[in-house]
Amino acid sequence: MKIYLSFIFLLVSAGIMVHGQSSDPFVTNCIMNAGSDARYLKDFRVQLGKTVTPGEPRYKAQMSLWKNTKYRFSMCNSEDSEGHLFLNLKDDANKTVLSSFDPKSGKTYPYIDFICNKSGIYQLSFDFTGGQKGSGVGVVSMIK
Amino acid sequence: MKGKSVLILLLALVFFISCRNSSKTSSGFVFPEADSIPLAEAEKLSAEAIADISNNIASPVEIANLLQVLSVPFSPDYLASAIDANKQPTAFAKALSLGILGADLGYLNMYEKTGTAINILSDIKKLAEGLKVGQFFDFETIKRLSLNKSNLDSLLFLSIDSYTRIDKYLRENGNGHLSTLMIVGVWIEGQYLATQVVREFPDPVLKDRIGEQKIILNDLIMLAAPYCNRDIEYRALCGYLQEIKDHYRDVKITYTLGDPVSVEKNGGLVIEQTETSNVEMSDEQLAGIIEVTRTIRNKLVINN
Repeated sequence: MKIYLSFIFLLVSAGIMVHGQSSDPFVTNCIMNAGSDARYLKDFRVQLGKTVTPGEPRYKAQMSLWKNTKYRFSMCNSEDSEGHLFLNLKDDANKTVLSSFDPKSGKTYPYIDFICNKSGIYQLSFDFTGGQKGSGVGVVSMIK
Repeated sequence: MKGKSVLILLLALVFFISCRNSSKTSSGFVFPEADSIPLAEAEKLSAEAIADISNNIASPVEIANLLQVLSVPFSPDYLASAIDANKQPTAFAKALSLGILGADLGYLNMYEKTGTAINILSDIKKLAEGLKVGQFFDFETIKRLSLNKSNLDSLLFLSIDSYTRIDKYLRENGNGHLSTLMIVGVWIEGQYLATQVVREFPDPVLKDRIGEQKIILNDLIMLAAPYCNRDIEYRALCGYLQEIKDHYRDVKITYTLGDPVSVEKNGGLVIEQTETSNVEMSDEQLAGIIEVTRTIRNKLVINN
Protein backbone atom coordinates (compact mmCIF):
# COMPACT_ATOMS: atom_id res chain seq x y z
CA MET A 1 0.00 0.00 0.00
CA LYS A 2 2.82 2.33 1.00
CA ILE A 3 4.58 1.61 -2.28
CA TYR A 4 1.41 2.48 -4.26
CA LEU A 5 0.98 5.70 -2.30
CA SER A 6 4.61 6.62 -2.90
CA PHE A 7 4.20 5.84 -6.57
CA ILE A 8 1.07 8.02 -6.83
CA PHE A 9 2.85 10.79 -4.94
CA LEU A 10 5.77 10.57 -7.35
CA LEU A 11 3.44 10.67 -10.35
CA VAL A 12 1.56 13.68 -9.00
CA SER A 13 4.82 15.47 -8.14
CA ALA A 14 6.24 14.76 -11.57
CA GLY A 15 2.99 15.93 -13.13
CA ILE A 16 3.13 19.19 -11.22
CA MET A 17 6.80 19.57 -12.12
CA VAL A 18 6.12 19.03 -15.79
CA HIS A 19 3.02 21.22 -15.75
CA GLY A 20 4.88 23.99 -13.96
CA GLN A 21 7.68 24.14 -16.45
CA SER A 22 5.80 23.28 -19.55
CA SER A 23 3.85 26.42 -20.25
CA ASP A 24 6.05 26.40 -23.31
CA PRO A 25 8.04 23.15 -23.21
CA PHE A 26 9.94 23.95 -26.37
CA VAL A 27 11.30 27.15 -24.84
CA THR A 28 11.96 25.44 -21.53
CA ASN A 29 13.92 22.65 -23.22
CA CYS A 30 16.04 25.16 -25.08
CA ILE A 31 16.78 26.95 -21.80
CA MET A 32 17.65 23.69 -20.07
CA ASN A 33 19.97 22.71 -22.90
CA ALA A 34 21.87 25.99 -22.75
CA GLY A 35 24.18 24.36 -20.22
CA SER A 36 24.57 24.09 -16.48
CA ASP A 37 26.95 27.05 -16.51
CA ALA A 38 24.34 29.28 -18.15
CA ARG A 39 21.84 31.53 -16.37
CA TYR A 40 18.69 32.37 -18.31
CA LEU A 41 18.16 36.04 -19.18
CA LYS A 42 15.76 36.35 -22.07
CA ASP A 43 14.25 34.48 -24.99
CA PHE A 44 13.08 35.51 -28.43
CA ARG A 45 10.40 33.32 -30.03
CA VAL A 46 10.67 33.40 -33.78
CA GLN A 47 8.06 32.17 -36.23
CA LEU A 48 8.51 32.99 -39.90
CA GLY A 49 7.06 31.89 -43.21
CA LYS A 50 9.10 31.20 -46.31
CA THR A 51 10.36 34.25 -48.13
CA VAL A 52 10.92 34.46 -51.85
CA THR A 53 13.67 37.03 -51.48
CA PRO A 54 16.10 35.91 -48.78
CA GLY A 55 18.28 38.77 -47.59
CA GLU A 56 18.54 40.55 -44.28
CA PRO A 57 17.27 38.47 -41.35
CA ARG A 58 13.62 39.29 -40.81
CA TYR A 59 13.00 39.04 -37.05
CA LYS A 60 14.64 41.93 -35.26
CA ALA A 61 14.87 42.85 -31.61
CA GLN A 62 17.10 44.89 -29.36
CA MET A 63 18.82 44.08 -26.14
CA SER A 64 21.39 45.77 -23.95
CA LEU A 65 24.59 43.81 -23.40
CA TRP A 66 27.09 44.78 -20.76
CA LYS A 67 30.86 44.85 -20.62
CA ASN A 68 32.66 42.20 -18.56
CA THR A 69 29.87 39.70 -19.18
CA LYS A 70 30.01 36.46 -21.11
CA TYR A 71 26.75 35.74 -22.88
CA ARG A 72 25.54 32.57 -24.56
CA PHE A 73 23.11 32.75 -27.47
CA SER A 74 21.45 29.36 -28.03
CA MET A 75 19.30 28.72 -31.07
CA CYS A 76 16.68 25.94 -31.11
CA ASN A 77 14.45 24.90 -34.02
CA SER A 78 11.11 23.17 -33.83
CA GLU A 79 10.98 19.84 -35.66
CA ASP A 80 8.80 21.16 -38.46
CA SER A 81 11.19 23.99 -39.35
CA GLU A 82 12.52 23.78 -42.87
CA GLY A 83 15.59 25.90 -42.18
CA HIS A 84 17.94 26.35 -39.23
CA LEU A 85 17.46 29.32 -36.95
CA PHE A 86 20.44 31.66 -36.96
CA LEU A 87 21.34 34.93 -35.29
CA ASN A 88 23.20 38.03 -36.42
CA LEU A 89 24.26 40.51 -33.78
CA LYS A 90 25.06 44.12 -34.58
CA ASP A 91 26.25 46.87 -32.25
CA ASP A 92 24.79 50.37 -32.06
CA ALA A 93 27.10 51.47 -34.87
CA ASN A 94 25.47 48.82 -37.08
CA LYS A 95 28.68 46.79 -37.13
CA THR A 96 28.23 43.02 -37.26
CA VAL A 97 29.67 41.54 -34.11
CA LEU A 98 28.75 37.92 -34.64
CA SER A 99 26.73 35.54 -36.76
CA SER A 100 25.81 31.96 -36.02
CA PHE A 101 25.56 31.24 -39.74
CA ASP A 102 28.57 31.08 -42.06
CA PRO A 103 27.24 31.63 -45.58
CA LYS A 104 30.52 30.43 -47.16
CA SER A 105 30.47 26.99 -45.56
CA GLY A 106 26.72 26.89 -44.97
CA LYS A 107 27.42 25.92 -41.36
CA THR A 108 25.03 26.94 -38.61
CA TYR A 109 26.28 26.99 -35.02
CA PRO A 110 23.74 25.93 -32.39
CA TYR A 111 25.20 28.34 -29.85
CA ILE A 112 27.63 31.21 -29.61
CA ASP A 113 29.47 32.40 -26.53
CA PHE A 114 30.10 36.10 -26.67
CA ILE A 115 32.60 37.85 -24.42
CA CYS A 116 31.20 41.36 -24.32
CA ASN A 117 33.65 44.21 -23.78
CA LYS A 118 31.51 47.07 -24.98
CA SER A 119 28.33 47.99 -23.15
CA GLY A 120 25.53 49.17 -25.34
CA ILE A 121 22.33 48.42 -27.16
CA TYR A 122 22.67 45.63 -29.69
CA GLN A 123 20.41 44.52 -32.48
CA LEU A 124 19.59 40.84 -32.67
CA SER A 125 18.35 39.62 -36.06
CA PHE A 126 17.01 36.10 -36.48
CA ASP A 127 15.99 34.15 -39.54
CA PHE A 128 15.93 30.62 -40.90
CA THR A 129 18.62 29.58 -43.37
CA GLY A 130 17.66 30.11 -46.98
CA GLY A 131 14.70 32.23 -45.94
CA GLN A 132 12.83 29.01 -45.17
CA LYS A 133 9.78 28.81 -42.95
CA GLY A 134 10.21 27.71 -39.40
CA SER A 135 9.69 28.35 -35.74
CA GLY A 136 12.31 28.44 -33.08
CA VAL A 137 13.63 30.23 -30.06
CA GLY A 138 16.80 32.16 -29.38
CA VAL A 139 17.76 32.05 -25.71
CA VAL A 140 20.16 34.55 -24.18
CA SER A 141 21.97 33.42 -21.03
CA MET A 142 24.86 34.63 -18.94
CA ILE A 143 27.79 32.31 -18.41
CA LYS A 144 29.04 31.98 -14.86
CA MET B 1 45.38 81.32 -55.38
CA LYS B 2 45.05 77.79 -56.71
CA GLY B 3 48.09 76.69 -54.66
CA LYS B 4 46.54 78.20 -51.53
CA SER B 5 43.32 76.23 -52.05
CA VAL B 6 45.26 73.00 -52.52
CA LEU B 7 47.21 73.69 -49.31
CA ILE B 8 43.98 74.30 -47.37
CA LEU B 9 42.50 71.10 -48.77
CA LEU B 10 45.62 69.12 -47.83
CA LEU B 11 45.62 70.54 -44.30
CA ALA B 12 41.95 69.67 -43.92
CA LEU B 13 42.63 66.13 -45.11
CA VAL B 14 45.57 65.66 -42.72
CA PHE B 15 43.43 66.98 -39.86
CA PHE B 16 40.57 64.64 -40.78
CA ILE B 17 42.83 61.57 -41.00
CA SER B 18 44.66 62.37 -37.77
CA CYS B 19 41.36 62.80 -35.92
CA ARG B 20 40.00 59.51 -37.19
CA ASN B 21 43.06 57.56 -36.14
CA SER B 22 43.69 59.19 -32.81
CA SER B 23 44.31 56.30 -30.41
CA LYS B 24 41.73 54.21 -32.25
CA THR B 25 39.01 55.81 -30.18
CA SER B 26 35.59 56.55 -31.59
CA SER B 27 33.38 59.34 -30.35
CA GLY B 28 31.80 58.75 -26.97
CA PHE B 29 28.19 58.38 -25.97
CA VAL B 30 26.36 61.65 -25.42
CA PHE B 31 22.78 62.49 -24.62
CA PRO B 32 20.86 64.02 -27.52
CA GLU B 33 21.36 67.79 -27.73
CA ALA B 34 17.91 68.70 -26.52
CA ASP B 35 17.51 68.47 -22.78
CA SER B 36 14.13 66.87 -23.06
CA ILE B 37 12.70 64.63 -25.70
CA PRO B 38 9.85 66.29 -27.60
CA LEU B 39 6.56 64.75 -26.58
CA ALA B 40 5.51 64.29 -30.20
CA GLU B 41 8.62 62.21 -30.89
CA ALA B 42 8.03 60.03 -27.88
CA GLU B 43 4.40 59.51 -28.78
CA LYS B 44 5.46 58.19 -32.16
CA LEU B 45 7.22 55.24 -30.56
CA SER B 46 6.00 52.06 -32.18
CA ALA B 47 5.02 48.99 -30.22
CA GLU B 48 8.29 47.38 -31.36
CA ALA B 49 10.33 50.37 -30.18
CA ILE B 50 8.67 50.22 -26.77
CA ALA B 51 9.35 46.48 -26.56
CA ASP B 52 12.97 47.18 -27.47
CA ILE B 53 13.34 49.77 -24.74
CA SER B 54 11.88 47.29 -22.30
CA ASN B 55 14.53 44.77 -23.40
CA ASN B 56 17.26 47.34 -23.02
CA ILE B 57 16.77 47.84 -19.33
CA ALA B 58 19.52 45.95 -17.51
CA SER B 59 17.99 42.89 -15.93
CA PRO B 60 18.19 42.86 -12.13
CA VAL B 61 19.33 39.26 -12.57
CA GLU B 62 22.40 40.56 -14.39
CA ILE B 63 23.15 43.04 -11.63
CA ALA B 64 22.67 40.35 -8.97
CA ASN B 65 24.94 38.05 -10.97
CA LEU B 66 27.61 40.75 -11.09
CA LEU B 67 27.38 41.15 -7.31
CA GLN B 68 27.85 37.41 -6.89
CA VAL B 69 30.86 37.44 -9.20
CA LEU B 70 32.32 40.22 -7.05
CA SER B 71 31.64 38.07 -3.94
CA VAL B 72 29.30 40.68 -2.49
CA PRO B 73 27.26 39.04 0.27
CA PHE B 74 23.46 39.21 0.20
CA SER B 75 21.88 41.94 2.29
CA PRO B 76 18.16 42.26 3.07
CA ASP B 77 18.76 45.96 3.73
CA TYR B 78 18.67 46.68 0.02
CA LEU B 79 15.14 45.33 -0.38
CA ALA B 80 12.11 47.58 -0.67
CA SER B 81 10.62 46.28 2.56
CA ALA B 82 8.66 49.49 3.07
CA ILE B 83 6.27 48.56 0.27
CA ASP B 84 3.02 47.24 1.65
CA ALA B 85 1.05 45.60 -1.14
CA ASN B 86 -2.20 46.14 0.78
CA LYS B 87 -1.72 49.89 0.93
CA GLN B 88 -1.18 50.87 -2.70
CA PRO B 89 -4.05 53.23 -3.41
CA THR B 90 -3.61 53.88 -7.12
CA ALA B 91 -2.80 51.91 -10.25
CA PHE B 92 0.31 54.11 -10.48
CA ALA B 93 1.52 52.93 -7.08
CA LYS B 94 0.66 49.30 -7.82
CA ALA B 95 2.48 49.21 -11.17
CA LEU B 96 5.56 50.99 -9.89
CA SER B 97 5.73 48.71 -6.85
CA LEU B 98 5.29 45.68 -9.09
CA GLY B 99 8.42 46.72 -10.97
CA ILE B 100 10.40 47.47 -7.82
CA LEU B 101 9.48 44.14 -6.23
CA GLY B 102 10.24 42.35 -9.50
CA ALA B 103 13.82 43.59 -9.28
CA ASP B 104 13.99 42.48 -5.64
CA LEU B 105 12.66 39.06 -6.65
CA GLY B 106 15.47 38.73 -9.22
CA TYR B 107 18.02 39.61 -6.53
CA LEU B 108 16.53 37.13 -4.07
CA ASN B 109 16.28 34.36 -6.67
CA MET B 110 19.91 34.72 -7.66
CA TYR B 111 21.01 34.47 -4.03
CA GLU B 112 18.49 31.68 -3.42
CA LYS B 113 16.91 33.48 -0.48
CA THR B 114 13.70 31.54 -0.69
CA GLY B 115 12.04 32.57 2.57
CA THR B 116 12.08 36.26 1.70
CA ALA B 117 11.26 35.50 -1.93
CA ILE B 118 8.00 33.84 -0.83
CA ASN B 119 6.99 36.96 1.10
CA ILE B 120 7.74 39.17 -1.87
CA LEU B 121 5.89 36.77 -4.18
CA SER B 122 2.83 37.16 -2.03
CA ASP B 123 3.06 40.97 -2.40
CA ILE B 124 3.63 40.66 -6.14
CA LYS B 125 0.53 38.46 -6.38
CA LYS B 126 -1.61 41.08 -4.62
CA LEU B 127 -0.27 43.89 -6.78
CA ALA B 128 -0.72 41.94 -10.02
CA GLU B 129 -4.26 41.02 -9.06
CA GLY B 130 -4.93 44.66 -8.19
CA LEU B 131 -3.95 45.54 -11.76
CA LYS B 132 -6.00 42.62 -13.10
CA VAL B 133 -2.94 40.89 -14.52
CA GLY B 134 -2.61 38.16 -11.90
CA GLN B 135 -3.46 35.52 -14.52
CA PHE B 136 -0.02 35.95 -16.09
CA PHE B 137 1.85 35.07 -12.94
CA ASP B 138 2.12 31.38 -12.11
CA PHE B 139 2.59 32.04 -8.39
CA GLU B 140 2.23 28.50 -7.16
CA THR B 141 4.86 27.09 -9.53
CA ILE B 142 7.26 29.96 -8.89
CA LYS B 143 6.77 29.50 -5.16
CA ARG B 144 7.40 25.76 -5.41
CA LEU B 145 10.49 26.18 -7.56
CA SER B 146 11.76 28.81 -5.18
CA LEU B 147 11.31 26.51 -2.17
CA ASN B 148 12.86 23.54 -3.98
CA LYS B 149 16.02 25.44 -4.88
CA SER B 150 16.38 22.75 -7.48
CA ASN B 151 16.14 24.58 -10.72
CA LEU B 152 17.21 28.17 -10.72
CA ASP B 153 16.87 28.50 -14.48
CA SER B 154 13.22 27.40 -14.45
CA LEU B 155 12.58 29.83 -11.63
CA LEU B 156 14.25 32.70 -13.45
CA PHE B 157 12.45 31.81 -16.66
CA LEU B 158 9.01 31.68 -15.07
CA SER B 159 9.57 34.89 -13.11
CA ILE B 160 10.96 36.86 -16.05
CA ASP B 161 8.43 35.37 -18.48
CA SER B 162 5.55 36.36 -16.18
CA TYR B 163 6.76 39.96 -16.11
CA THR B 164 7.26 39.96 -19.88
CA ARG B 165 3.70 38.71 -20.43
CA ILE B 166 2.24 41.28 -18.03
CA ASP B 167 4.20 44.02 -19.76
CA LYS B 168 3.00 42.89 -23.20
CA TYR B 169 -0.61 42.56 -22.07
CA LEU B 170 -0.64 46.02 -20.54
CA ARG B 171 0.84 47.60 -23.65
CA GLU B 172 -1.53 45.79 -26.01
CA ASN B 173 -4.58 46.75 -24.01
CA GLY B 174 -4.13 50.48 -23.80
CA ASN B 175 -2.28 50.48 -20.50
CA GLY B 176 1.15 51.44 -21.76
CA HIS B 177 1.41 53.94 -18.92
CA LEU B 178 1.30 51.09 -16.39
CA SER B 179 3.80 49.01 -18.35
CA THR B 180 6.14 52.02 -18.34
CA LEU B 181 5.84 52.29 -14.58
CA MET B 182 6.77 48.63 -14.17
CA ILE B 183 9.84 49.10 -16.34
CA VAL B 184 10.89 52.26 -14.50
CA GLY B 185 10.37 50.44 -11.20
CA VAL B 186 12.59 47.54 -12.23
CA TRP B 187 15.30 49.93 -13.40
CA ILE B 188 15.27 52.24 -10.39
CA GLU B 189 15.46 49.30 -7.96
CA GLY B 190 18.31 47.68 -9.90
CA GLN B 191 20.09 51.03 -9.94
CA TYR B 192 19.48 51.42 -6.20
CA LEU B 193 20.90 47.97 -5.53
CA ALA B 194 24.04 48.67 -7.56
CA THR B 195 24.60 52.13 -6.08
CA GLN B 196 24.10 50.98 -2.50
CA VAL B 197 26.49 48.07 -2.92
CA VAL B 198 29.18 50.22 -4.55
CA ARG B 199 29.39 52.37 -1.41
CA GLU B 200 30.63 49.37 0.54
CA PHE B 201 32.31 47.51 -2.31
CA PRO B 202 33.80 50.15 -4.60
CA ASP B 203 34.74 47.73 -7.34
CA PRO B 204 35.66 49.33 -10.69
CA VAL B 205 33.48 46.87 -12.63
CA LEU B 206 30.44 47.83 -10.57
CA LYS B 207 31.29 51.53 -10.88
CA ASP B 208 31.45 51.12 -14.65
CA ARG B 209 28.10 49.32 -14.73
CA ILE B 210 26.54 52.27 -12.88
CA GLY B 211 28.16 54.77 -15.25
CA GLU B 212 27.02 52.77 -18.28
CA GLN B 213 23.38 53.25 -17.29
CA LYS B 214 23.72 56.59 -19.10
CA ILE B 215 23.31 54.56 -22.30
CA ILE B 216 19.74 53.56 -21.54
CA LEU B 217 18.58 56.43 -19.37
CA ASN B 218 17.46 58.48 -22.33
CA ASP B 219 15.36 55.59 -23.64
CA LEU B 220 13.72 55.30 -20.26
CA ILE B 221 12.87 59.00 -20.27
CA MET B 222 11.50 58.68 -23.79
CA LEU B 223 9.32 55.80 -22.67
CA ALA B 224 7.83 57.87 -19.85
CA ALA B 225 7.55 61.11 -21.85
CA PRO B 226 4.05 60.56 -23.32
CA TYR B 227 2.61 60.21 -19.82
CA CYS B 228 4.41 63.07 -18.07
CA ASN B 229 1.37 65.32 -18.16
CA ARG B 230 -1.10 62.59 -17.27
CA ASP B 231 -1.34 63.60 -13.62
CA ILE B 232 0.70 64.77 -10.66
CA GLU B 233 2.22 61.34 -9.98
CA TYR B 234 3.53 60.93 -13.52
CA ARG B 235 4.78 64.52 -13.57
CA ALA B 236 6.78 63.86 -10.42
CA LEU B 237 8.22 60.64 -11.82
CA CYS B 238 9.34 62.36 -15.04
CA GLY B 239 10.98 65.05 -12.91
CA TYR B 240 12.84 62.37 -10.94
CA LEU B 241 14.16 60.76 -14.11
CA GLN B 242 15.38 64.15 -15.32
CA GLU B 243 17.14 64.68 -11.99
CA ILE B 244 18.99 61.40 -12.43
CA LYS B 245 19.85 62.33 -16.00
CA ASP B 246 21.31 65.63 -14.81
CA HIS B 247 23.74 63.72 -12.61
CA TYR B 248 24.84 61.64 -15.58
CA ARG B 249 25.37 64.62 -17.88
CA ASP B 250 29.16 64.83 -17.36
CA VAL B 251 29.79 61.08 -17.18
CA LYS B 252 31.72 60.16 -20.31
CA ILE B 253 31.55 56.90 -22.20
CA THR B 254 34.16 56.44 -24.90
CA TYR B 255 34.82 53.55 -27.23
CA THR B 256 38.01 51.92 -28.45
CA LEU B 257 37.68 50.28 -31.83
CA GLY B 258 38.61 46.72 -32.69
CA ASP B 259 37.41 43.66 -34.57
CA PRO B 260 35.93 40.60 -32.85
CA VAL B 261 38.04 37.44 -32.59
CA SER B 262 36.33 34.08 -32.99
CA VAL B 263 37.28 30.46 -32.36
CA GLU B 264 35.31 27.23 -32.72
CA LYS B 265 34.91 25.26 -29.50
CA ASN B 266 32.92 22.08 -28.83
CA GLY B 267 30.73 22.59 -31.90
CA GLY B 268 29.89 26.14 -30.95
CA LEU B 269 31.53 29.45 -31.58
CA VAL B 270 33.30 31.66 -29.02
CA ILE B 271 33.63 35.29 -29.94
CA GLU B 272 35.60 37.84 -27.97
CA GLN B 273 34.91 41.47 -28.65
CA THR B 274 38.07 43.57 -28.77
CA GLU B 275 36.15 46.80 -29.14
CA THR B 276 35.69 48.27 -25.68
CA SER B 277 33.61 50.87 -23.91
CA ASN B 278 35.20 52.94 -21.18
CA VAL B 279 33.50 54.97 -18.51
CA GLU B 280 34.99 58.20 -17.22
CA MET B 281 33.25 59.11 -14.00
CA SER B 282 34.76 60.97 -11.06
CA ASP B 283 34.17 59.97 -7.43
CA GLU B 284 32.10 63.14 -7.02
CA GLN B 285 29.92 62.24 -9.98
CA LEU B 286 29.43 58.73 -8.63
CA ALA B 287 28.59 60.11 -5.19
CA GLY B 288 25.97 62.37 -6.81
CA ILE B 289 24.42 59.46 -8.67
CA ILE B 290 24.35 57.32 -5.52
CA GLU B 291 22.64 60.10 -3.58
CA VAL B 292 20.06 61.06 -6.19
CA THR B 293 19.19 57.39 -6.75
CA ARG B 294 18.79 56.76 -3.03
CA THR B 295 16.63 59.83 -2.50
CA ILE B 296 14.33 59.16 -5.44
CA ARG B 297 14.02 55.42 -4.88
CA ASN B 298 13.15 55.99 -1.22
CA LYS B 299 10.56 58.61 -2.18
CA LEU B 300 8.96 56.12 -4.56
CA VAL B 301 8.99 53.32 -2.03
CA ILE B 302 7.88 55.29 1.01
CA ASN B 303 5.36 57.55 -0.72
CA ASN B 304 3.67 54.45 -1.98
